[in-house]
Amino acid sequence: MLGLDDCLTEVMAIPGALDAMLLDQTSGMAVAISGPPQGVDAESSAAALTETLRATMDGLARSCPGETVRIDDMLVTTDKGHHLLRMLETVFEGPLIIYLRLDLERSNLALARYRLQAISSQLLT
Amino acid sequence: MAPLDTLLAGLARERSTGALRVGRAGTIFLSEGRVTYMECAHTPGVERVLAARGRLPEAALRRLQADGGCRRLLEEGPVTLGELQYCVLGAVLDAAFFLLPVGGNRPKFRPGEQHWLGGQWYFDVAGLMRECARRRAYLAQIWPSALLDTAPVRPLPRLPGNGVMLDSVQWEVVTGADAEATPLDLAKRLGRSGYSVLLAVRRMAAAGLLAPPAETAPTHAKGATTTRATKEGTARHAAGGPAPTATDDATEATKDGAPQAAGEGAGQAVGDRQGVLPRRVPGAADQRPAHDSAARGLPLGPPISADPTDLALLMRLKKALEELS
Repeated sequence: MLGLDDCLTEVMAIPGALDAMLLDQTSGMAVAISGPPQGVDAESSAAALTETLRATMDGLARSCPGETVRIDDMLVTTDKGHHLLRMLETVFEGPLIIYLRLDLERSNLALARYRLQAISSQLLT
Repeated sequence: MAPLDTLLAGLARERSTGALRVGRAGTIFLSEGRVTYMECAHTPGVERVLAARGRLPEAALRRLQADGGCRRLLEEGPVTLGELQYCVLGAVLDAAFFLLPVGGNRPKFRPGEQHWLGGQWYFDVAGLMRECARRRAYLAQIWPSALLDTAPVRPLPRLPGNGVMLDSVQWEVVTGADAEATPLDLAKRLGRSGYSVLLAVRRMAAAGLLAPPAETAPTHAKGATTTRATKEGTARHAAGGPAPTATDDATEATKDGAPQAAGEGAGQAVGDRQGVLPRRVPGAADQRPAHDSAARGLPLGPPISADPTDLALLMRLKKALEELS
C-alpha cells in the first residue's frame, strides 16, 4: 500500500522527472513536496497551480455545454519542460493532484502519463 | 488571540507528547512536539467524513477503535493508506483553522494521551499556523466580508442572471441549504471540511447568489419556503442535463410548485433589492479589510445578544462601585 510520501517517491522515479508535488485542489495547499525546488516558493506555486486547474475547469465547463466536465489530467508544455497535472478523485475532499515537471529532452510523455495512472490507482481504491 | 498559539508553540519546543484539551471546543494531540491529530467541535472529524461519504458506518468505526485500531482499519477497512492520510490531513487542517483562533478556554494538557487515528501524518506547529493564515487570507481575497460565515445559508430564490457555474461543493451547498443550517452545520451534514464549505459560500456570495443574512424571524420562515422551491428547481434541472449550471428553471418551479410560495418569493426578491449584502465598488480591491485583524472570529457557543445600552449602563455601574470603595 502506498502512502502519500511513497507516492511522491514513485512519481520522482519516472524518467525525466525534475520535481513533483502533491496538491490539495480545494485549499490550494501543497500536501507533499519532493526536494526543494530552486528559487520557487512551494506554497505560492501550489496555490497558483490549483488556480490554473480551476480556470481550466471553468473554461472547459463553459465550452462543453450539457456535459459534466471531468478532467483526468492536464498537460502544459513550455519551452523549458512539460508540466503534468493528474487529478485523483477521492471520496473525501476536492481532488488530490499530482503535479510533475518533466525535462523536455529526457522524458517520455506517454510513459509518464501511464506511470502516473498506475501510481494513482495504487494510491486510491 | 495569542494564548493557544503560544501554548502550542511552547509544547512544540519542549517536544511534548499528549493531548491538549481546549475546553469543549476541541482537542489537539501531539507527539514529540508535532501535531498528530486535532479535533474541533465545529468541524467534521475523520470518523464523520468517512461515514458521511459512505465509506464506513460510524458504528463500525467505533468497533474498530475499541478493538484493533488504525492498523485493523487499514487491513480490513475499505480505506487505503493514502486515502486515510489524506483524510486525516484534511480533517486536522480544517480543525486547526477553526480551533486555533479561539483560545482562552483554559486549555488543559494531559501528557501521554493519543488519538487512535493519530500518527498518520505529522504536522509541524509553525507550518500549521502558516497554512491557517494563508487559508484566511485566501478567503478574504475571494470575498472580504465574514458576515455570511456564521449566518444560515440561503441561496437566492431567483438567479440574478441567465446561468451560473457551480463546482461540486457549491452544488452540495445549494442542494443541502435549508435556510437554517449555517456553513458549519452544512459541512457536518455533507461530510465536507468546514473550510471547503466556507470557500463555496464566499464564492457564491461574491457571485451574488446568496441572500443577505436574515435580521428577523418572520423572514426566516419565508426564506424556508422559497429555498425549498429553488431546490426543487435545481433538482429538476439536474435530471434534465448533467451540467452543473443552475438556470432560470428555479423560477419555473416556483410558479408551478405552489402559488403562495411564488408570491412570497417575489416579496423576498423586492426585499433583497434593498439588501445589506456588501457590493463591490470599482477600485475597492485595494481597500479590502485585512481579514486577520478586522474580521470577527467565529463565535463558539451561543451568539452574544447584549444591547449596547445595557453594556454602557453596566460599565457606568462598575465605575461608580469602584469609586465608592
